[in-house]
Amino acid sequence: MKHFYIRSKIDEQIAVIYPKGHLDAHNVERFEKEIVKLLGNNIVRIVVNCKDLNYISSAGMGIIMGYLDEIREKRGDIKLCSVNDRVYEIFDLVGFTDIYDFVENEVVAINKFKNVS
Amino acid sequence: MFPDKPELTITIPSKTELLKMVVELTKHIATINKFIPSDSQKIALAVDEAITNVIKHSYLWKKDKDIRLEYFTNENGLKIKIIFKGIPPVLSKEGVDINKYIKEKRKSGLGVELMRKIMDSVEYKSVDNINYCEMIKWKTKK
Repeated sequence: MKHFYIRSKIDEQIAVIYPKGHLDAHNVERFEKEIVKLLGNNIVRIVVNCKDLNYISSAGMGIIMGYLDEIREKRGDIKLCSVNDRVYEIFDLVGFTDIYDFVENEVVAINKFKNVS
Repeated sequence: MFPDKPELTITIPSKTELLKMVVELTKHIATINKFIPSDSQKIALAVDEAITNVIKHSYLWKKDKDIRLEYFTNENGLKIKIIFKGIPPVLSKEGVDINKYIKEKRKSGLGVELMRKIMDSVEYKSVDNINYCEMIKWKTKK
């Protein structure tokens, strides 16, 4: 039984990734592949829509951390949106909330990217 | 003081497939011992991080090794002891510098930090080629 699903869409060079379910060390490779695929297509404006993400361990956060420098070097960014309270608390524990742009929903995240382009 | 005898002991093979099961089990044990839901979820995450580190660093992703978990409870808290063999853990004493990790493009290194932030006590020791990780969480005073 799968506990983690991922899909993404790209519109006007902005990608939205939808991780769903339970993201841990067992399924983190699929999350990483999605990010790597986007970078391979020169998509560096990435929204991670966490509306259906119930759980994240450091394995998943490590992927968000590991590619940020490369993405920002290419004048892109990772924005996180629609994060539930419990997942937000975990991001906050390791200091992600000071470094990443957490916004309320996907529309706000996309508009923020459009305003800076 | 926690009792000498664990309330529950479980031995699992070193497979990441089982992480979610351990998370659910730990959350359940914390919940029935009257931890608030957000603490139960975080305790389960700390155990996930500890087990992931064992699989990754001590067993180098080999799937056929044993990891034993012992859960001890009393009215004030929960103690989880994780017992494993393999390479003894070497932990950094420094805290995590996220900005430095980002610059270094690191994809790991957050697990122990999370364990330390979530639990009230995290201790590792190795005796006679057996490694122990012991974590304690006290209940939040209402």
